[in-house]
Amino acid sequence: MAQAANPSGRLVDVEQPFVLVAAAAGGPRVTALNEAADAAGLTSGEPLSDARAKTGFLQVRPLDAAVDAAALRHLTLWATRYTPTASPWGEDNGADGFFLDIEGAAHLFGGEERLIADLAQRLEGFGLRVRLAIAATPGAAWALSRFHETPLIALPSGQEAEAFAPLPIEALRLSPETSTMLHRLGFKTIGSLLDKPRAPFAARFSAELLRRLDQALGRVEEPLVPIVAPPVYHSLRYLLEPIFTQEAVVSYASRLMQALVHVLERDDKGARAIKLSLYRVDGAVETIDIGLTLPTRSIAHVSRLIELKLEALGASENAGFGFEAVGLAITHAESMSARQTELTSAMEEGGQAEDCAALIDKLRQRLGPQSVRRFAAVESHIPERAEMLAPVTDSSSPVERSETGERNRAKRGGRDVAQTMPPPPCYASSPSPATRGRKDSFAAEEEQTRPLLLLPQAEPAEEVMALAPDGPPRRFCWRGITYDVKRAQGPERISAEWWRAKEQKPEPTRDYFLLEDADGRRFWLYCEGLCGRETNAARWFVHGLFA
Amino acid sequence: MNIAPSHPPPRVIARNRAAVMEELRRLLPGSARVSTAFPLGLAAIDSCLPEGGLACGATHEIVADTENATAAAFGFIMALLARLPRFHPLIFVMPVYGQRRYGRLHGHGLNAFGLDPARLIMVETAHRKEALWAMEEALRSRVPAAVAGLIDKLDLKLSQRLQLAAIDAGLPLLLLRLAQNLESSAAATRWRVGTAEAARDRFGLITRPRWDLKLERCRNGRPGEWVVEYDHVTHRFSLVAALADSALSRGAGSEPVRQAC
Repeated sequence: MAQAANPSGRLVDVEQPFVLVAAAAGGPRVTALNEAADAAGLTSGEPLSDARAKTGFLQVRPLDAAVDAAALRHLTLWATRYTPTASPWGEDNGADGFFLDIEGAAHLFGGEERLIADLAQRLEGFGLRVRLAIAATPGAAWALSRFHETPLIALPSGQEAEAFAPLPIEALRLSPETSTMLHRLGFKTIGSLLDKPRAPFAARFSAELLRRLDQALGRVEEPLVPIVAPPVYHSLRYLLEPIFTQEAVVSYASRLMQALVHVLERDDKGARAIKLSLYRVDGAVETIDIGLTLPTRSIAHVSRLIELKLEALGASENAGFGFEAVGLAITHAESMSARQTELTSAMEEGGQAEDCAALIDKLRQRLGPQSVRRFAAVESHIPERAEMLAPVTDSSSPVERSETGERNRAKRGGRDVAQTMPPPPCYASSPSPATRGRKDSFAAEEEQTRPLLLLPQAEPAEEVMALAPDGPPRRFCWRGITYDVKRAQGPERISAEWWRAKEQKPEPTRDYFLLEDADGRRFWLYCEGLCGRETNAARWFVHGLFA
Repeated sequence: MNIAPSHPPPRVIARNRAAVMEELRRLLPGSARVSTAFPLGLAAIDSCLPEGGLACGATHEIVADTENATAAAFGFIMALLARLPRFHPLIFVMPVYGQRRYGRLHGHGLNAFGLDPARLIMVETAHRKEALWAMEEALRSRVPAAVAGLIDKLDLKLSQRLQLAAIDAGLPLLLLRLAQNLESSAAATRWRVGTAEAARDRFGLITRPRWDLKLERCRNGRPGEWVVEYDHVTHRFSLVAALADSALSRGAGSEPVRQAC
């Protein structure tokens, strides 16, 4: 693979010998070279000093492995247009290529030969010099792509042994120590190893040699680590003409979804997460991820979500020279049983949950996943921590959720000993008319007074005038307006949560007051710090507004 | 071939499609959605409204009288939402600028207000355009029992659009508006909410919030002005007796009362 590293500074003249070097034992060594350097007789792996001696003018740059890895990753992503299982080579494979598992995919391109011819043509179009090989095992393909005389080869299954015999032992992806030792013992080619008994090799060498040999010959599985998680369902379409417009993308995506719906129906599955990949002509891949609140098989819903996402992406989505292939993968599927739809289904609860999920999906797709949320109680005394807004991700409808909360509460009240997990925190039970009738006068005391609106951050109240140091204020100024307090209710003392205060210094205690001014505006103020004990100058804050 | 039907078919003698749909809707098993209005439960107010309550397929504007009354306007909206049928979620659209300015809805506060926080789906939007889109989308889906939201500016064209969406969906849209930038709108009603002293028990503790409610504009109805109080337990509005001697009722709790913790 050509090196993409081109550090800032003087431009590299590609017509002249140019090498990349990496630090190694005994000085820097050449790791990659261009055609001119190759013509000058330089070889990969020789010390830089030797290379300088061979040619008069040599351009040298240090190897940037991270940039190389990123470029390889990019290219491997592009290659998922051939098959979903693409795996870039790691360090032990030389980190300069990728494996494609084309089992079951080759016929889409008219056979293996046509596939590698197509792949080679496209890669050469990107300006890369390629060597491609198709073989029954990754190890065999690796060996053939490196050491076979023809740059493109498709090896029929079962002929590994014959094809391997003339290849040098380096084709087995061995560590330098092992291959040096084999050379010293007189083994130059793989063929010289094949007919020897295994036991002496196992005794003499580490397990690596026999493992690599077995992997190449298909006696041992070599698992590939795919670059993206393999999808559960996948459908891909190659286009004769590149497409540019949003409508075209949406229409192709819905056609792909249509192709998948039959498979989903057969398996009683519905999609929960979908990835749309748009393969650009110039080798870049745009991916659009879509999460769904409920499993779905609806083509209209999915295409609407894709449309919303494309609209939201807007200018940042760059079609370049157009998209030449569109792939739709269902990365997460959940079971979804078929339901008979009736004329009156809109009146039923089941239909409603689905509609609700569809609405939430739409809103989330356009406004962002964090923008559609639901209240969730958190066990804490501090008002701002006592709840959080949780993204609506689960499939249960709000009504069901509140019923679960009800059940949990009933369980706790009944002192169920079998219960080991604490119930999730929930909001205090709403007062009902039945309990209200009994304790009329203490109703307000029982229910905590909490404001309808909580300010994002408590805002300081200025010019606070209080009669007693720990009494309610009679007058305060907030956001530039002075309010005369007519009545006050409180305090409700909320002290810091000591179990949190270990690392930082403890938060001061707060005394909350409900204040009403002459016009009937109701505020929630607190006084920070116990006067005389925690602080000498108490500070007041407005924290919320009552209806 | 002349087979007599076992039961007489419904007499659909409507002239156009809309009328046929109306007739069919009436024949389908009853649901809360079919009702065209939800009453406030106060005869004095409901009699001013053309359909004996807030029309379901319509936009209703709730205007905070002054900037300081925004919390009261929020309260009135939440009280209306709490009165709606329980088996549908509620959608509240809140632009971020509103949140910065007026604070965010507090779940425990909603709970104390008689509205189950789990019913409410909060939609946060970055700007007005998105908020309008979200409201329209929520209405068109016909999923929630009602859609509510805060909108700072709304011209006639946009409000007509929202009104049409609400009519199509047959759902109420409650818009919280600010007094300083009101323009003519297509809303069915416009309410102005002001603050009022809360109802207190004999220990001087707040029991029920009260608001100064003004029905400022109402298509085919009559305007009016009331002081209402809201009971969060029974979800009921009631009128505050106009003749109550405020001096008397205030006597007991005029001094700040400290409540033992």
